[in-house]
Amino acid sequence: MITKINDNLNFSEGCEQSGFPSIKQEDWKYTNLSAIRKYTYVTDVPQVMHEEEVLREYCESQDINLVFVNGVFSSKFSNLEKMPEGVKLLTIKDALAQDSSCLQKFEEKCAWPKATPFTSVNKDLAEDGVFIEVNDNAISKTLIHIVHVTSLTEENLLTAPRTCVLLGKSSEANVLETHVCFNDKNIYFSCAQTDIYLQENARLQYIKAVKESLQAFHVGQTRVFQEGNSCFDGFSLSAGGKIVRNDLDAIVNGEGAETIINGLYTAWEDQHVDNHTSVEHKVANCGSHQLYKGVLNDSARAVFNGKIFVRPPAQKTNSYQLNKNLLLGDGCRVDTKPQLEIFADDVKCTHGATIGQLNKDEMFYMQTRGVSQRDAVKMLYRAFVEDVLDMIKNDHVHQKLNSLLQPAFCTKS
Amino acid sequence: MTKKDKDMSKTVEEKLLNEKTIEENTLSSREYKYGFVSDVETDRIAKGLNEDTVRLISEKKQEPEWMLNWRLKAFRHWQTLKEPHWPNFEYGPIDYQAISYYNAPKVKKDGPKSMDEVDPELVKTFDKLGIPLTEQKRLSGVAVDAVFDSVSVGTTHKDELAKVGIIFCSISEAIKNHPDLVKKYLGSVVPYGDNYFAALNAAVFSDGSFCYIPKGVRSPLELSTYFRINAAESGQFERTLIVAEDDSYVSYLEGCTAPMRDENQLHAAVVEIVALDRAEVKYSTVQNWYAGDKDGKGGIYNFVTKRGKCAGVSSKISWTQVEAGAAITWKYPSVILKGDNSIGEFYSVALTNHRMEADTGTKMIHIGKNTSSTIISKGISTDYSNNSYRGMVKILPSADGARNYSQCDSMLVGNNCSANTFPYIEVNNRTATLEHEASTSKINAEQIFYLMSRGLDMEGAISLIINGFCKEVFKELPMEFAVEAVRLLEMKLEGSVG
Repeated sequence: MITKINDNLNFSEGCEQSGFPSIKQEDWKYTNLSAIRKYTYVTDVPQVMHEEEVLREYCESQDINLVFVNGVFSSKFSNLEKMPEGVKLLTIKDALAQDSSCLQKFEEKCAWPKATPFTSVNKDLAEDGVFIEVNDNAISKTLIHIVHVTSLTEENLLTAPRTCVLLGKSSEANVLETHVCFNDKNIYFSCAQTDIYLQENARLQYIKAVKESLQAFHVGQTRVFQEGNSCFDGFSLSAGGKIVRNDLDAIVNGEGAETIINGLYTAWEDQHVDNHTSVEHKVANCGSHQLYKGVLNDSARAVFNGKIFVRPPAQKTNSYQLNKNLLLGDGCRVDTKPQLEIFADDVKCTHGATIGQLNKDEMFYMQTRGVSQRDAVKMLYRAFVEDVLDMIKNDHVHQKLNSLLQPAFCTKS
Repeated sequence: MTKKDKDMSKTVEEKLLNEKTIEENTLSSREYKYGFVSDVETDRIAKGLNEDTVRLISEKKQEPEWMLNWRLKAFRHWQTLKEPHWPNFEYGPIDYQAISYYNAPKVKKDGPKSMDEVDPELVKTFDKLGIPLTEQKRLSGVAVDAVFDSVSVGTTHKDELAKVGIIFCSISEAIKNHPDLVKKYLGSVVPYGDNYFAALNAAVFSDGSFCYIPKGVRSPLELSTYFRINAAESGQFERTLIVAEDDSYVSYLEGCTAPMRDENQLHAAVVEIVALDRAEVKYSTVQNWYAGDKDGKGGIYNFVTKRGKCAGVSSKISWTQVEAGAAITWKYPSVILKGDNSIGEFYSVALTNHRMEADTGTKMIHIGKNTSSTIISKGISTDYSNNSYRGMVKILPSADGARNYSQCDSMLVGNNCSANTFPYIEVNNRTATLEHEASTSKINAEQIFYLMSRGLDMEGAISLIINGFCKEVFKELPMEFAVEAVRLLEMKLEGSVG
């Protein structure tokens, strides 16, 4: 099927702002998506994996791997044997075959905000995806690794990966969702969506890593809905892609819930990376913490927009947000907008943003100790990044993200 | 003297912080003290706005042709624009045809030659406001240009300033007497096409102040403009232009009040500042327009465009504002940092109570090398009010070594108000260093407890804490204004905490 963006895609269903986003809209002010429209996309391509070995190495056997090649589930690369007790892990197709109303039931539970242009697109196009349901009191320590890999195709591919995660009361799970491509020449557009629902006392560690081809576009949204005393520990890594946009919206609906959203973005050459986060505190006694760090090289561009809403009943909210940017390239550009909207008085909300370069004194000190300038830059860069990467408790995941970051570290500074 | 007047004069008197008599506490109860109407015979034109109105205003002011043409160009441009509604509040429809654009106190033929000839009723009004126009009673070291409705009624200390070469007069006089200067600088910082209200102002502005500081002169006095809206169904559209030549310095103050009325009145002013090489301009505002009653009825719409341009190297423009009045405040005093090593500063305290709305902040546009800017903003919201900080720091690719520090803190008093922060940071140069921090919290209960255990009452304690919260901004204000600002805040906060 050939799809020319905006000709056939449904951007308007349920949206206030209809049509393809333009920079005139506040949410897209700094991210111009018109490059996406230059291409024609197809949604159905042969499921051929060219970089088979790399992929096998990437999917480690100690994890549960669900691999999607060019948007289609591949049982060849996936291994679902190690499924812990109490965890239901299915492709959405299978889940619908078992219970045709499972998605609908899932959506009814969460009061999501209004649809955005890309949630409509995903809804229209998503044919398959992952459906994870963890039973009450089930604890799953094994990492569930969802891999969306795009391999070289003749035509430009449009995929709409979808993930639904439902955690029962007092349950726990670890999910890593990666969007990767092992060929930097591929042109494709990935419009991903992940919905997460945490019931009382549930705990989820969720990491989304995007390392697309340097010619590819990625627009992803993650929606989180939290009930009382639940904990969402999220991390977002953007380590490559022509235009990468991540929206992360968390709605805190139960007292005592905790929301952690950390992120790291790196961009070089003419890449563009945009992170939008929003945390909405609807009830009292909740906390949210956000730390986003970014490193830019060459003439890359980064955008950060973090919103914290504190609704009138949400007294005793403790909310914190920090965005730090390191500029290394001559032509790079950062637009950041940390935003607070507070309607309750007994709260503690802070946000901050910094933009700067490597500290000259630190560089000088290291050079007096015999470290070459090149190495000094690398070490300081590394230290800047490590600070936020260390927020990931799981060493195994930490390593994986590090490997995805290699190309970023290797760029000249 | 009426009871109100007595009360008025009391606020002007010096008194120690937090030392209130019982009588005062019962009297003040957050009433707006400047809400009286003066009975002054006025020359006003009919309501409505069209090209003829613009021509009529220009004619009344006996303006030269170029000025009229500029106004007409602005008016035609305004007609093509749409009223903006993007801020974080909603405002009712403004009927631009229901406003009278020119209200001047009637004067005897040629206008007053000296302050002695000014209508005594007017002098009395300004005296009531604590602004003495008669020179012998002047506040030490402040020259005042008083603007009443549409026109400037008098400027004090002209001679003293003229001795050092400073021109300080109403803008209408400047258009007549110094056309070259006005022609050169008017609209150079805020062109008429800048925004909807700037265009409207350019078309119908009736008066304002003009100030020119020649090369190497440090103004011996602080200059001040006092704006008073008196007439009903009118708006105030004044324009202030300050030009500081190389190596000069001036400190400029602005104050404003209006009577209590149930209708919303529009105040759409424009302030332009040009600072040339090594010049320094300090502009302070204590804004106390009528804010409407506690149900949000009436009050002034304060939609103002203020912008300074650091055109020369090492120049400095500093904005300090205390926003305590107006039903809606919507303004962003900005600095364009064009000259290398230039400095921009913005210090602001915005206090909202009842149902006031404030969407204020600043823009710092860094163009020159090694430019630096500081933003300190303090917002306090009480009752049902809504207080937003909206700021932009933009570093253009040419601004090597630019530096910005921003801090915006909000304090919430009560459970029905809101505080928002919308900082836009756009960096296009890798050598720039920026820091932005913001916090929102309520008054610390421990601090209140401590102060109360030391014998202060609740209100005294809160007032002291808020004073401390705003200290960084108040210390930037000239002495007299700082005292006034502290009072104003105290007055506004009275009874709002329980």
